[in-house]
Amino acid sequence: MNSSPSYININKEWDIVAARQLARDMSKKLGAGTVDQARIATAVSELARNIYLYAIDGKIYIEAIEKMERRGIRIVAEDNGPGIPDISLVMEDGYSTSGGLGAGLPGVKRLMDEFNITSEEGKGTIINTIKWVR
Amino acid sequence: MEISINVKEENEKVVINVSGEIDVFTAPQLKEKIIPLVSAENAEVIVDFKDVNYMDSTGLGVLINAYKATKVNNSHIKIINLQDRVYRIFTITGLDEVMDINPVMRGGIK
Amino acid sequence: MDTTKIDASKYKMLLKSYIESQNEQSLYGAEQITKTFIKNNILPEEIVNLHIQALTELYPDLLIEFKHSMNFLLETMISYGLAHQEYQYLREKQSQIKSEISVAANVQDTLLKTTVPQIDELDIGVISVPAHQMNGDYHHFIQGKDGSIGIAIADVIGKGIPAALCMSMIKYAMDSFPEQLMRPNSILENLNRVVERNVDPSMFITMFYAQFDPDSGKLFYSSAGHEPGFLYNAVTKEFQDIEARGLVLGINSDSTYKQYELQLNKGDIVIMLTDGVTECRGGKKFIEREEALDIIRQYIHLPPQEAAEMIYKHFENLQDFNLKDDFTLIILEKKV
Repeated sequence: MNSSPSYININKEWDIVAARQLARDMSKKLGAGTVDQARIATAVSELARNIYLYAIDGKIYIEAIEKMERRGIRIVAEDNGPGIPDISLVMEDGYSTSGGLGAGLPGVKRLMDEFNITSEEGKGTIINTIKWVR
Repeated sequence: MEISINVKEENEKVVINVSGEIDVFTAPQLKEKIIPLVSAENAEVIVDFKDVNYMDSTGLGVLINAYKATKVNNSHIKIINLQDRVYRIFTITGLDEVMDINPVMRGGIK
Repeated sequence: MDTTKIDASKYKMLLKSYIESQNEQSLYGAEQITKTFIKNNILPEEIVNLHIQALTELYPDLLIEFKHSMNFLLETMISYGLAHQEYQYLREKQSQIKSEISVAANVQDTLLKTTVPQIDELDIGVISVPAHQMNGDYHHFIQGKDGSIGIAIADVIGKGIPAALCMSMIKYAMDSFPEQLMRPNSILENLNRVVERNVDPSMFITMFYAQFDPDSGKLFYSSAGHEPGFLYNAVTKEFQDIEARGLVLGINSDSTYKQYELQLNKGDIVIMLTDGVTECRGGKKFIEREEALDIIRQYIHLPPQEAAEMIYKHFENLQDFNLKDDFTLIILEKKV
């Protein structure tokens, strides 16, 4: 059975740290290795930072999941920001990193095992990711 | 390679002072400054090339672009104080006959 | 055992041996194993992790502060790992683009292929080398039904793909003109209209078009803002500029072009070029037109094709074999 998700509201930089902490605690509890813990925390960091920088206000949901005898952690980033007009552009390597120094969404995709993004202009963005714990 | 571009407005006119080398790397900076200025209706733009010691064909392309924009917007562009090496590009390409350009003034006042 | 496990135990072994005796051999081993890591796309955080594992197995009583510090190091490596993966991806993408361009360059070569006319009155040498893979210079020979030879040399501003695409347009426009229109000035006038309608406002093309009449030995020519060529007089052994006024193509749709003529005598040589020849830089220094002429002078006694190739080699050498602009040179020698 999946646990009920916990979430963190993101509207100040400090919230990014709280989201990382929550993700790390949960991944530790699930028995993720040190490297995976670090990857999950970094992915959460990127997602939360995106909300903080571009949407001002949003949530990071973190939950433990179990599917077909596999355990993992699901991270969902949801915001009511301006939305992303061209998703394939932001998913392109070298696009987001050229300006800032973040790993960008392609980085999050690499850090996680499953990645799904939906966005509507003027409404917001939902990014749904899963990391399976080996 | 360095370029510096200074824009200043002098009663109804815009004077752009350019210095350095205009080549494939610096031409985009010139384009960014100059095109919006000449695209204003009836604008009067003077580009001072006194301190431009080299310009390649990419730079010339930017000026051609500006010249074409003046025809659409009924504005005017004048390029002054061209050094010999740069002036030569205008004469070879025949642009000295269609564009308003002046070579560098010798011995002070013309 | 999978390769990662083999590498892990090998790493542990090397580490142990180094900690015990600081020998160079284990460092050499470390260098070798790093290469397999890179080959197998092992990320930096995984290597740090490997190190932590090996260390805790070898020395279970390590200081807790030290263990924490290693975990701290691992965290800092995550972003490096991502940057590395991105770099790998972009490198692959670049090589893919490169191969696409090389295919395009072949298409362009086929498209712009031109045959040098063989006539008794004229010996023709030509060389055209792109700075990058695709050529923004264009040259073309046409042999008319009346026996005249048309020679076009053109330079699109800029280089690379945009210039090359533009060149293809010129080629098709030229092919579409009826033969009776093949006078230098009317060719340029027609071409100018095509170019003016079809290019980006910051793009322009320069062209020199010449027509040689073997019967009279006369060369008719017009220039659309093209770098002036040179005429070598066989009697005086001197060079002079082939001056011709005319606006570059693509500025005004109603430009007209003046037609000039030259009487060629036996041994006279006409040199047509693009500004990749006269505007090239040797190191940080520009090569002036006069210096370019000095180089041409050194080889002018050779048969045209050989001269063109030698002159190119000379310029290539001057620029440290790294051409900055497309380079095209045509040499015509009046034989009889």
